[in-house]
Amino acid sequence: MGLRIKILSGFAILTAMLFIAGVWSIYELRFVGSSVQKMLDDNYKSISAAKMMIEGLERQDSAVLLLLLGKWEEGRSIIRSGDELFRQGFEIAKNNVTIPGEQGYVDAIEAKYKIYKDLWTRPIVGTKREADLNWYFEEIHQAFLNAKAAVAALTELNDKNMYETASELKGRSHRASMPGLVAILSALIFTLVFNYFVNLYVVSPIIKITKGIRRFVETREPVNLEVETKDELADLVSSIQDMIARLMR
Amino acid sequence: MRLPVVLRYVGFVLLLDAAFLFAAAMISVYEGDAALMPLLYAAFVTALFGAFPLIFVPSTTTMTNKEGFLIVVFGWLLSCTVGLLPYVLYGGEFTLTNAWFESVSGFTTTGSSILTDVESLPWGLLFWRSATHWIGGMGIIIFVLSVLPSMGKAGMILYRTEMSPLAADNFLFRTRRTLHILVSVYVGLTAAETVCLLLCGLDLFDAVTQAFGTIATGGFSTKNTSIAYFKSLPVEIVVMVFMVLSGMHFGLLFVAASGRFEEVWKSPIVRYYLAALLLGVVLTTVNLQGRIYGDWGEAIRYASFQIISQGTSTGFATTDSSVWPPFAQLVIIYFTLQCACAGSTSGGIKADRIAIFWKAILRRIKSIQHPSAVITVKLHKVSLPDDLVEVTLLFIALYLGIIFLTTLVLSFLGVDALTAFSGSVATMGGVGPGLGGVGSMGNYSALPALGKWALTGNMLLGRLEIFSIIVFLMPRSWE
Repeated sequence: MGLRIKILSGFAILTAMLFIAGVWSIYELRFVGSSVQKMLDDNYKSISAAKMMIEGLERQDSAVLLLLLGKWEEGRSIIRSGDELFRQGFEIAKNNVTIPGEQGYVDAIEAKYKIYKDLWTRPIVGTKREADLNWYFEEIHQAFLNAKAAVAALTELNDKNMYETASELKGRSHRASMPGLVAILSALIFTLVFNYFVNLYVVSPIIKITKGIRRFVETREPVNLEVETKDELADLVSSIQDMIARLMR
Repeated sequence: MRLPVVLRYVGFVLLLDAAFLFAAAMISVYEGDAALMPLLYAAFVTALFGAFPLIFVPSTTTMTNKEGFLIVVFGWLLSCTVGLLPYVLYGGEFTLTNAWFESVSGFTTTGSSILTDVESLPWGLLFWRSATHWIGGMGIIIFVLSVLPSMGKAGMILYRTEMSPLAADNFLFRTRRTLHILVSVYVGLTAAETVCLLLCGLDLFDAVTQAFGTIATGGFSTKNTSIAYFKSLPVEIVVMVFMVLSGMHFGLLFVAASGRFEEVWKSPIVRYYLAALLLGVVLTTVNLQGRIYGDWGEAIRYASFQIISQGTSTGFATTDSSVWPPFAQLVIIYFTLQCACAGSTSGGIKADRIAIFWKAILRRIKSIQHPSAVITVKLHKVSLPDDLVEVTLLFIALYLGIIFLTTLVLSFLGVDALTAFSGSVATMGGVGPGLGGVGSMGNYSALPALGKWALTGNMLLGRLEIFSIIVFLMPRSWE
C-alpha cells in the first residue's frame, strides 16, 4: 500500500469518526427538539382541554345546586357558561386524538356528559325536583362524578404518555451528547496512534535514509538503508542503493 | 518488544469484536430498537481502530513470548473497553463504571450484572451482552487464531499464552488442529443447545442467547429472573446438561464425539469433577429438604441446578440461593472456588488444580510417614514435575490472597462481609452471583463504584489466570 493511501486513510478515519458522531448528535438533538414540541402539542393540549372540561363540569354542578335552591336565573346563566366551557374543552380534546386508545376515552366523555346534560336540561325550578336533594345525590351528582371521572381518565392517559415521552427524551439527550464525547476521546487516541505510525513508518525511515546518504557522502562506503515497508520509501531506498552502487563503480 | 506488532495483532481482535457488534446492530435493525445507533457507531469505531494498524504495520510470523503476553492481555483489555461503548452510548442504567463492569463481566464470562431490569434493554444490546460471553468463553485470541490463516510460530505463542497452561499441555495435537477442535466443539455445543432449547419451546432469540451464556459458562440471561423465568423443567435439564458438558475439557469432548466415550471416563479429572458435583448435589439436597423445600423432588431440582451452575462457573439461577441454610451456602462457596476442568470455558481455580492440591497433600503425608521414600504426585498414572505442583500451589495461594484483598477493599467501602466475600469469590472465579446482596436473584448495582472497579480487576485476573496480568503490569515487559 502506498504512502499516500496510508496517510490519507488516517485522515479519512479521523474525519469519518467525527463526522458520523456529529451527524448522529444532530439527528438526536433534532429528535429531542421535535419531541418536546410534539409533547406540548399532543399531551399538554389534551391536559389543558381536560382542565377546561373539569372546570365546566364543576360550574354546571354548582349551577344545578342553585337551580335546586330555586335560583333560576343565576343557575341557568352559570350552567350555560359551564356547558360552553366544557364544549370548548371537548372540541380541543376531540380534535387532538394522538395516543393509541385515546379516541375511546373521548367517546366515553361524550357519552357520560350526554347522560349528565340530559338530567339538567329538563326543568328543575318549579317542578317536583326543586329542593329534592335525594334526586341530586342519587342521580345528577352521580352522573356529574361519572363525567368527571371520564375526563380525569383522559388526563391520566396524557400524563402517563407525557412521562414516558420525557423519559425517552432523557435517554435521547444522553444519546445526543455521548457520541460527541466518545468521538472526541476516540479521535484523541487515534491521533496518538496515527502520529506514532507516521513517525515510525514515514519520518524515521526518512531520517535513516538522510543519515545514510550523508554517511555515504562522507565515507564513500556502502550503507544499509533497509526499511520494513513496501511503499514509496522502499522504492526510494532501492533507487538510492542503485545510485550508490553506480557511484561506487 | 515491538509495539507495532502488538498493535497489529490486537487489531485483529478488535475486528472480531466489530463483527459481533455489527451482528448485534443488525438485530437492532430487525427489531427497530433504540440500540441501533450505539451498536453501529461502536462497531464503526472498533473496526477503524482494528483496521488501521493493518494498513501501516507489515505482517510478521515471528513473535517473542513477551509480545505474545502483551497481545493477549492488551487484546482482552481493549475488547472490554470497546465492549463498553454501546452501553455508554445507550445510557439508561449504564454509567461509565456500570458499562465497564458489564463489559468486563461479559468478556470474562463472569455473568455478574449491574442491571436491575435486564428485560427493558433493547434486543440488540441484549444480544451484544450475550455475544461478549460467547467471544470471551472461547478466548478472544483463540477465536482470532481460528479465523485467521496460519500465523506460524506467532500463532503457537499466542495460543500457549491464551490457553490455561494446564489445558494447553493436555492437547497432544499441533496448534492448528487443536484450534479446530476447540472451535468445532464450542460451535457444536452452542448449536446443539440452541436446538434443544427451541424444542423446549423457547423462541430463537432466547434460545441463542441462553446457549451463548451456557456454553461460555457465562450466565448473562435475557430475563430478570434468569432461567427461573421459563418455569420449565425441560429447559432446566437442557441447561444443566450443557453446563456440565461445557465444564469438561474440550479435547475430551471432541474425542467422545469421535466415538471414544471411554476416554472421558479414563480421565481422573473428569471423574473427580463429576463425583464432586454429584456429592455437592446430594449434600445440598439433603440439607434443603424439609428446611426450604417441602418435597424431595423440589429439593433435588433446585439444588442440582444451583450447584451445577456455580460448579461450572456459569451463574444461571432458578431460585434465590441466598436464603438457603448456611451449610448449603458453604457448599456453593466451595464450588464457586473450585469450578470445572481446565481446557473448558469454566473459570475458578479449576478441578485439575484442586486434584493436584489434594494429591500434593497426600504426598506430604506419605513423605512424613516414609522420610526416605521418593514420592511423586501422579495424575492419570503420570508423574507430574515438581515445578508444576509448585506453580499450582502458588496459584491457589495467590488466588485466595487476591480474594482476601478484594474482600478487605469491599468491606472497607461499607459492604457487608458475606456480600464482600462471596462477591469477590464469584467474580474471581467468573461465576457471577454470590450470596447476600449479590445473590442469584440479585445484582451488583448497589455496590460502591470503587468496589465495582475492584471486582472487574478480579474478573480479569481470574480469566487470565493471574500471572498474565502481573507480567503485563511489570514495566520490564514493555522494554
